[in-house]
Amino acid sequence: MFTGFGDWAGMKIAVIGWELPPAFSGGLGVHTLNLFSEIADYIDIDLYVPSFKGLKGIYKFNVIPVPIEHGIAGNPYEITSFPDFYESVLSYNEQVVKAFDPKDVKIIHCHDWITYLSGLQLSKKYHIPLVVTVHSTEFDRSAYFNPQRRIIDIEKMGVIGADRVIAVSNYTKSIVVREYACDPDKIRVIYNGVNKDYYISGEKDYELKNRVLYFGRLTSQKGGKFFMETASKVLKVNKDIEFTVAGSGEQSSEMKWMAKEFGITDRIKFEGFVSFRESAKYYRDSDIFVLPAVSEPFGMTVLESLISGTPVIISNTTGVGEALRNVLKADYWDTDLFSEYILYVVRYKSLRGTLGSLGQIEASRFTWRRAAVQTMGVYLGL
Amino acid sequence: MEESRSANNGGVFRFMKSVVFFFEAHQPMRIRPYRMADIGTNHDYFWESKNREIGQRVSEKCYIPATQVLIDNGIKASLSISGILLDQLVAINSGSLDVFKEYFRSGLGEPVAETYYHSLSSIWNKREFFYQVNKHRETISRFFGRTPQTFRNTELIYNDDVSKLAKELDFKNIITEGTDKIIAYNTPNVKYSSVSGLNLLLRNYKLSDDVSFRFSNHTWNEFPLYADKFSDWVARSPGDVVNLFMDYETFGEHQWKETGIFEFLKALPKELEKRGISIKTIDEFCNENPKGNVLSLPDYVSWADVGRNLNAWLGNDMQREAFDLLKSLENNTNPETWRRLQVSDLIYYMSVSRFSDQEVHDYFNPYGSPYYAFMNYMSVLEDFRRTYSSK
Repeated sequence: MFTGFGDWAGMKIAVIGWELPPAFSGGLGVHTLNLFSEIADYIDIDLYVPSFKGLKGIYKFNVIPVPIEHGIAGNPYEITSFPDFYESVLSYNEQVVKAFDPKDVKIIHCHDWITYLSGLQLSKKYHIPLVVTVHSTEFDRSAYFNPQRRIIDIEKMGVIGADRVIAVSNYTKSIVVREYACDPDKIRVIYNGVNKDYYISGEKDYELKNRVLYFGRLTSQKGGKFFMETASKVLKVNKDIEFTVAGSGEQSSEMKWMAKEFGITDRIKFEGFVSFRESAKYYRDSDIFVLPAVSEPFGMTVLESLISGTPVIISNTTGVGEALRNVLKADYWDTDLFSEYILYVVRYKSLRGTLGSLGQIEASRFTWRRAAVQTMGVYLGL
Repeated sequence: MEESRSANNGGVFRFMKSVVFFFEAHQPMRIRPYRMADIGTNHDYFWESKNREIGQRVSEKCYIPATQVLIDNGIKASLSISGILLDQLVAINSGSLDVFKEYFRSGLGEPVAETYYHSLSSIWNKREFFYQVNKHRETISRFFGRTPQTFRNTELIYNDDVSKLAKELDFKNIITEGTDKIIAYNTPNVKYSSVSGLNLLLRNYKLSDDVSFRFSNHTWNEFPLYADKFSDWVARSPGDVVNLFMDYETFGEHQWKETGIFEFLKALPKELEKRGISIKTIDEFCNENPKGNVLSLPDYVSWADVGRNLNAWLGNDMQREAFDLLKSLENNTNPETWRRLQVSDLIYYMSVSRFSDQEVHDYFNPYGSPYYAFMNYMSVLEDFRRTYSSK
């Protein structure tokens, strides 16, 4: 157990982030908010983030909004989106370096390639140890299809230049070692947590709802196309099942086109973007959540579904799966097996109930407190 | 009771302490990975290659060398070989049957009867149970030339009703687990009578598990375990008998020969003898000792898992659903296959019990997870239902 920072009294951690709810609530934002709210109980934190329009809220840490000058929509103090993402990242990192206050900073902690450049520069300039967390790599995000060289280069510089690397799974650690030749001894694996208060509302009864859920961005990384293929195979055997696709993204029109091609449009509901607030209801109202990700470093949605009591089927290339017993796994391309699993779960209540209730217990062990304690352990080791 | 005991059995003999060995030799016929698409087209359920590979390995690592150690060192033991294992040993032709035959012929070994299919039939179907036990008893007699007098139910599943069934089948002796609840008031180290009047022995789980589970555990504070130290523990354990009941696969399979388990076994008779302790079979010990106090056990016990009850097989909804489906298929045109599907291991693989038990389950589970075991089994039963059952 963590016993405190001892003689680090009066010192602080400088975190360079990107998303922060409620402004943006992707996985990185959820991680930043939850993890550093826990760590803030022990040590002061300066969190640098782009000065989003909706960036307001009461935080347990000190938020330093950084105006970005290039590649954004809105004005630098009220950013609404990033029409030129790469340009805005470069601009952000320049501005972080300018805005940085090194006084009493003991550690700089960066999150993904979008923050590495400023972290590397500041660490060198002020001789402050650098920790970087790898939430995903360019190889995951591109699903190994045309990864961007310039991003790969930044990721490699980041993990090589950092004093410690935190990976969100052993799966991700192995990619960082393999693709970036990073020294495995300086990598620590720390799993994300899940905030159960958002998702648990009474006991799930596991009566059949005939509903299968896909929840996440519609990108090649998340395997949305494999979900569509799976759906068409399931529907050949059981026409009563309804598939819900919650999320938006670049593959949206392709997935809709596939639904037409397979002749299953009447059994698939495209819900578009679903907010974090609405997500609990989707998990709750489904018999099973399916994530056939091609390469998913962690998979927060897996824990969210499990903590809601809804069983999951995931690909073998979903990081959190390595730490879970009570899930079903298949290769992301094996839509025969994915569809078989769905049919079993729909057919047997005992299977749904056992997977769901034990999965819920298992997921509840993934707390942000645990992640925070392990992260502080990394800081103290430097 | 104490009084009649002394009267019947005065003299030095009465005070000589015994160790009774009982070993379970059993391997299930595992069902192969069976996909939903196989239903209706593939009626070949059993995992021939895997079963053969494991059968051969266990024969070479355990059945042959362990039995040879028993023979060479004159070690007596009661041994139950499940019918479903016998079938496989005949098919594999690995040589272990010959060694078993030699052991029983030598008089050192006592053959013990059980359900042929290592099933849970005792808890739900008397007629089926009788069929399976009789088939096992007859097969053992035919193979080994001796008719079992001792009955032990699958994984020592027992309650008063099981003892009554065994009585109806004319057995003399029966054994079960000495659970914490039982031994809180009754030492496992004496002979009892079942409510049906059979001789009843209770497993000394502490000393049995010292050998079967802890022998090679480096983190155990008693590691390493030698025959002299273990014999001291046996000598110090108060009572007439220490019942060491365990999987036969302990010797060479669960505990590899590199752990020194065979040397331990070889050294044990002399070390016990030095302390005035002799090794006996169940039947021999029961014959030499007067009738014991009646011990009534109305609730089910077994030697499985920490719970020592039926939860290893019927502890979760998946297991109960699978078991119910299996039972519902009793009227069928392929009874031999239906019985092979009754082997308790197939349902044991679906257990999701927690903590240390999970490791034991994972060790034995050929499917990697209770959920895959469930899906596999249900698909096989579904095909069986469509193909062989009127239901």
